Amino acid sequence: MNYIIIGASAAGLAAAQEIRKTDKSGTVTLITEESYMPYSRPSISYFLKGKVKESDMFLRKPNFYKENKIDVVTDTKVTSIDTEKKIVKAGRKSYPYDKLCLCTGSVPFIPPMENVKGKSNALTFLDLRATKAVKKLANDKTRAVVIGAGLIGMKAAEGLVKVCRSVDVVELAPRVLPSILDSNSSKLVKKHLEDNKINFHLENTVVKAESKGDKITSVLLKSGKKLPCDLLILAVGVRPQSELAEKAGLEVNRGIITDTQTMQTSNKDIYAAGDCTVSVDMLDHSKKIIALWPNAVQQGTAAGSQMAGGEITTGNTYSVNAIDFFGLRICTCGLINAQGDQYKDKIKKDSDSYKRLIFEGDRLVGFVLINSSQNAGIYTSLISNKVPLNFIQGDIMDTPSLFMFDKDIRKFKLTGGMQV
Amino acid sequence: MKKVFAREELCVNCRLCEVYCKTNHSKSKDIIKAYKTENPAPVSRISVYGDKMLSVAVNCRHCDDPACVRACITGAMTKDKKTGIVSVNENKCIGCMTCLAVCPVGCIKTGNIAFKCDLCGGEEPACVKNCPNRALLWLETGGSE
Repeated sequence: MNYIIIGASAAGLAAAQEIRKTDKSGTVTLITEESYMPYSRPSISYFLKGKVKESDMFLRKPNFYKENKIDVVTDTKVTSIDTEKKIVKAGRKSYPYDKLCLCTGSVPFIPPMENVKGKSNALTFLDLRATKAVKKLANDKTRAVVIGAGLIGMKAAEGLVKVCRSVDVVELAPRVLPSILDSNSSKLVKKHLEDNKINFHLENTVVKAESKGDKITSVLLKSGKKLPCDLLILAVGVRPQSELAEKAGLEVNRGIITDTQTMQTSNKDIYAAGDCTVSVDMLDHSKKIIALWPNAVQQGTAAGSQMAGGEITTGNTYSVNAIDFFGLRICTCGLINAQGDQYKDKIKKDSDSYKRLIFEGDRLVGFVLINSSQNAGIYTSLISNKVPLNFIQGDIMDTPSLFMFDKDIRKFKLTGGMQV
Repeated sequence: MKKVFAREELCVNCRLCEVYCKTNHSKSKDIIKAYKTENPAPVSRISVYGDKMLSVAVNCRHCDDPACVRACITGAMTKDKKTGIVSVNENKCIGCMTCLAVCPVGCIKTGNIAFKCDLCGGEEPACVKNCPNRALLWLETGGSE
């Protein structure tokens, strides 16, 4: 069997690993357009501020690939898929496959702005190559402007504030981190970020840039304000990288459409996993792009297993995310922006922490925890296992622990059924 | 592999396991320094939950297919193939705490990065060694005492 995987981040690596677990003899080839062995993209902002070394960013040790006979082909951009001949083409090179997995992730979405495209100091912030370019331009004289206050933009801003003279963030929405925070908690987070010297321009957008040669020197906002700018980070958002799939005739609707359990696409020999696919959230059955690491690994693992004849499926799909900004810890899961009468919530907060649990009927369906994430995984397990709340002992708003469960369940969780 | 098992029937909530865990994971290995002066402060990787009537110490279960390893966004969390120990590479961890967000037992501790039980590297763990009433046992999984 000849397995080809396109894309070598969370989903691609998980797929390769699982294929090898299931099929000891087939050839496994991981093709990436990047120049590096699989590395942690979420670490790029830590690399930018100098907290993590490049050599500590790699997801596996070099001998992992040797031991598991996984061939990683770098610097190779796949240009087309011939589904008739079952060949993947990268320029003049071609790679035959029996089973193919698309783990192409996301690409930055860049809205039209006058005089920005092609400027040497207008950069994206999604991969290591881009981060190295940003790092070269960032110093104690740099006035940086970040467009977008989502996860990528805010991580860029956090990294830049350590090295730059000033960091301004421009965001179209009225709040920061709209994808992971509700409006209450985003106020608290915004204040913390401002205390750490990030300036915000919310409900605003960059209309055009002024430049000298190929360099942007300032940007003009919709509000009329002008910001001097030596470095412009484009972090408005991302969209699934699904062109290859589309060209190959696979079913695509924003992201690649797959069977949600097996990750098989509309072509039986092609699978897809990670940010490039459309997920179905178990909590409200909505179709969405869940561009989060644990989801990508889960889907990659399922795809890899299925490709090699195994039986692992994705199981329960939901969003779970944890991130920190200047020591402020944010942990969210499930339906944090749920709308509708069926949802109720409970909130507990003080000056620097916030806990909001969201319920539907007798189930927990979401949480937003800021500086209150101790043992959050127990909440996550209540959500993903759809545990009825009448099983839970004590006040659910307290720090969760195994004492939420009765003695038998608690004992089983601690011993795995072993008699001690 | 050998893991730590807690018997809630015997736990008296003395929290000595926490004291010795914290000390064993300090730089100085000295209780007073570990508690009073070390910076960054060492973190106990075991926690006693419950009250005076009923309590139990909780630490990592070193799961066969650990959710924390699957969810780790940097490759810092790994399960050793030979020993089965799940541990954090402190150079690679960025402290995002995704591991904590998915651990169903609640055994990941927050410092500047993620901390968790490393079974003291494979020797009899400090928590077990210092539990005064043998509420903690170090047992081969599936085996007897």
